[in-house]
Formats: sequence, structure tokens, C-alpha cells
Amino acid sequence: MTDWGMVLSIGLIQNMFLATIMASVVCGVIGTYVVVKRIVFVSGGIAHTTFGGVGFAYYLQSVYLVSWFTPMIGAIVFAVAAALIIGSPRINKIVREDSTIGVLWVVGMALGVLFISLTDHNVVLVRSYESILFGNVLLVSSQNLQVMAVMGIVILSLVAYLYRDLQILTFDETQARISGINVTLMNILLYVLVALTCVFVMNIVGIVLVIALLTLPAAIASMFSNDLRQIMVLATVCALVLSFLGLVLSIEFSIPPGASIVLTLAVFFMLSLGIKSYHDRGAVVSKAERD
Amino acid sequence: MASSPPIEIDDLTAGYGSNIVLEGVSLRLEEKDFLAVIGPNGGGKTTLLKAILGIITPLKGDIRIFGETVGNGLRKIGYVPQRGNFDSSYPISVYDVVLMGTRVMKGYSPRYSAECHERTAEALEIVGIEDLAEYSLSKLSGGQMQRALLARAMAGRPDILLLDEPTASLDPHIKECIYDSLRRINKDLAIMIVTHDIGVVSTHVKRVACLNKNIIVHDEPLITPDMLEMGYHCNVELLAHGVPHRTYGEHDHD
Repeated sequence: MTDWGMVLSIGLIQNMFLATIMASVVCGVIGTYVVVKRIVFVSGGIAHTTFGGVGFAYYLQSVYLVSWFTPMIGAIVFAVAAALIIGSPRINKIVREDSTIGVLWVVGMALGVLFISLTDHNVVLVRSYESILFGNVLLVSSQNLQVMAVMGIVILSLVAYLYRDLQILTFDETQARISGINVTLMNILLYVLVALTCVFVMNIVGIVLVIALLTLPAAIASMFSNDLRQIMVLATVCALVLSFLGLVLSIEFSIPPGASIVLTLAVFFMLSLGIKSYHDRGAVVSKAERD
Repeated sequence: MASSPPIEIDDLTAGYGSNIVLEGVSLRLEEKDFLAVIGPNGGGKTTLLKAILGIITPLKGDIRIFGETVGNGLRKIGYVPQRGNFDSSYPISVYDVVLMGTRVMKGYSPRYSAECHERTAEALEIVGIEDLAEYSLSKLSGGQMQRALLARAMAGRPDILLLDEPTASLDPHIKECIYDSLRRINKDLAIMIVTHDIGVVSTHVKRVACLNKNIIVHDEPLITPDMLEMGYHCNVELLAHGVPHRTYGEHDHD
């Protein structure tokens, strides 16, 4: 049996739980927009592009010794650039949006591999592919935590301020346009928020598994509520409880935390699906009986 | 500018790339007008709407809303989209949908003002769906959803109402109800609908225009043989089904 008193007194473990709390709130809110606007693929593209940024940061650090350009900052730069490219109306006129996303996705990954191979591993300590892609929440440093806190505040205040307009945008773009919203700019802003969220989450579950924390809680919540705000709250609670459960399971059974969190979320997603479909069928049957 | 009509379209040409969809279209929507623009699929009805709403820029010609450019005049238009042009499964209450109609007053401020909420209540009442306010949009029937969108358009207190296929795939009875509401609303503002449902149109509207790249406008609610000829290349029997007397009016060719 794990001695939890001892485990929780370790600084890195505390960081891990703090990072998870912050990520849950941000994912609950932004993930809800991702799910209702059906831009899961956009998020996937942006998330994978960050790998290029991580590699780029290592490379810069090894060649130019710019130690302030951390992998997280590299990831932010690449993710935001990807968001701007995907939202660019000029590019969308020529190529379909999902094609652009596909290109960014693979180019980001390839650049990551290229830059990491060019990096002098004697100068810079490069994390393993495994921990970058599939996460190692034990590696969240206090400095990362500070950057995350700032990003979290920026993301949440922007959403609080633009909540109503984002609601119109994600519901009906034509209405958004004729009621004076700059739809192109607002879409790009939403993509940038998604990009920042992806960077946020990659610290916890790794690049490949970002989509899980971003979409699964909101997808679960949207089965049980028909109100955007309520879905956000439910999704946050869901993300918080399930990722904590995942972390506890990972420590208890010594399995990688990223995989453990994702699978915990997935199990609850399937459970909810089962409950919901059973409940809906019940509702149809009882309505038929009434009629 | 008192004399400027609600919508004035002059020699409009519009399209996508090299594909010209509308050519030399001129049209006036008068005060308290009730105009139906009919035409076959691909005839340019949607493109005409997009041009009026400023979603596409005309290749040639001019659109004025009360004498102003589309950008400035847009806030005087209430728009009811066709089902399928918005996400009908979106998690939102009818009240919040209608509230969206007052966004023009709110601007980029984070909150809707008390006046926005008043207008929302008023719009729900005009359309007669106060009792649906707390319902989820996704739980509504087709007719109820259409009314919710009509209320949203009315919440902005528009001077012009634009409707895209307002009664597509609705029951005949519900269609009648929607047109009754529109006729009531028409006492105060100009309405333009775009539809291929010509059976309903001729009995409810004041004027009809037929659009198939070019346009024919008729100052009575009659669908004339040359409209049919231009628009549909005549399958008259099918088109006339149900309203045989109103469909073919006496018409001298000039």
C-alpha cells in the first residue's frame, strides 16, 4: 500500500496535482467550445504542431545557449502560429481547412524530430520522446507552473469577457457576422485559446494525449446538460475528479500518469454513453406507453 | 434619407470566382412590402441573401439599405436563417437564442443590458412563444424552432425582416401559422422571403420576384407563365398543385 502522506509531501508530486487542477479548469471551459463547435480536429492539429516547438526550443538552447527559450515557450510559439495559420481566411480560400490542419500536424511532428536530432545532447538535457509525446507530469517544474498560472488567468479572463460573443460565434456564424462580430478575428482568437490550452495540457498528459483531456470531459458533460455554462462547470468537475483518480491509480499501480488519466476518462466516457443511451431508450419507451 | 427604400439593389452581379450566379439583378423592397423571391435551386437565392447580408462582396452593382451601405445598414435587418445553417443541437435555451438578436446594442461589452432583456421578452411575446423561453433549442419541433429564430430576428427591432426558406419541411398547418405571424409583423416592417415553396407564397405575400441568374419582379402576388418559363422550364402541373387558381393569372406579354 502506498504511503500517501509521504507521497504528497514531495514537491514534484504537489506540482503535479497543482498542474492538474489548473489544466482541468482550463480544459473544462475551452474543451466545451471545442466540442460544441466540432473543432476537435483543429485542436489535434495544433496539439501535434507543438512538438515542433519543443524540438525548436531544445535546438536553440543547444546552439545559441538561450536558456530562457524553454520547450514550453517553444510550444506556445508553434501552437499560436498554427492557430493563426488555420484561422487565416487567405489560406482557407485556397485550401480546405482540414487539409491545412493535416499539413501542420505532420510538419510539426517532423520538425520536432528533426530539431531534436540536430540538438547536441551533451549541451542540453533533452526529455525522452516518450515523455514529451505521452506525458510525464512528474517533470512539471515550478517555473512551468508559473507560466501555466499566467496562461490560465489569461485564458479564463478572455473567456469570461467574451463568453456571450463566443456563444453566438459557435452557434451561428452568420448571426455573429450580421450582429457586428468580426467573425474571422473571433475564430482566430478561439483557435489561439485552444492553442494555449493545448500547451497547458501537454505538460500533464503529453502531446499525443492532449485531445483526451480537452474533449472527453466536455463530451461527457454535454450528454447530461443543455446549457453551455453548465456544461463548462460539469466538464471541469469531471476533468478534475477523473484526472485525480487517474493520477492516484498511476501512483498506486506504477503506470505512466498520462496513459492512466486518459484511460480513466475513456472508461467514464463509455459508462456515461451507456447510461445515457439506456436512459434515452427508457424515455422513448415510456413516451410510447403514454401515447 | 426619408425617401430611401428599405432595400435597393441596382444592377447587381455576384458570384464565386469565375462562376457568375447573379447577373444584372435590380430589386427594390418598399416600406411595408412583403416580397417573395422564388426560383430553382442554384438560381442564386442564397447568393442574393449573402450579398444583402454583406457576407459576399458584389462583383458589380450596388446594394443600399435605407440609402446606406450594407455595412452601415445591416443593423436594421433581422435575419431568419434556414434550418441547417446553424447548429440545431447546440446546448442553448430559447431565451438565450432570442437574446442574441440584441447583440448589436451590446457591442463587445460582456453583458447584455436590461434593455436587451426587455426587448427579448417583447420579441418572445410578439411571436407568441413566451412559454418556450426556458426550453432547450434542441428539444423544439421544426415550427417552434422557426418561431424562436423569428423572435431572435425581431429582438433587434429591425426595420426589415429577411427570411431564408421560412417554411421548408413544415406541416401545412404550421406553415399557415408562421405566415399569420409574418402578416401581423408586416404591418410595421418590410419583409422579404426567399423560398422555393411557391404554393404558399402566392396566397400570403404582396409581390413575387423570380430569380434564376436574372430576375423578374411582379407587383402582384402572381406567378406568371414567363416566371415559370425562366425559372423552371415549366413543370406547371406540379407547381400549380393545390393553388391552381392563384398560380396562373391573366397576363399580357409586353
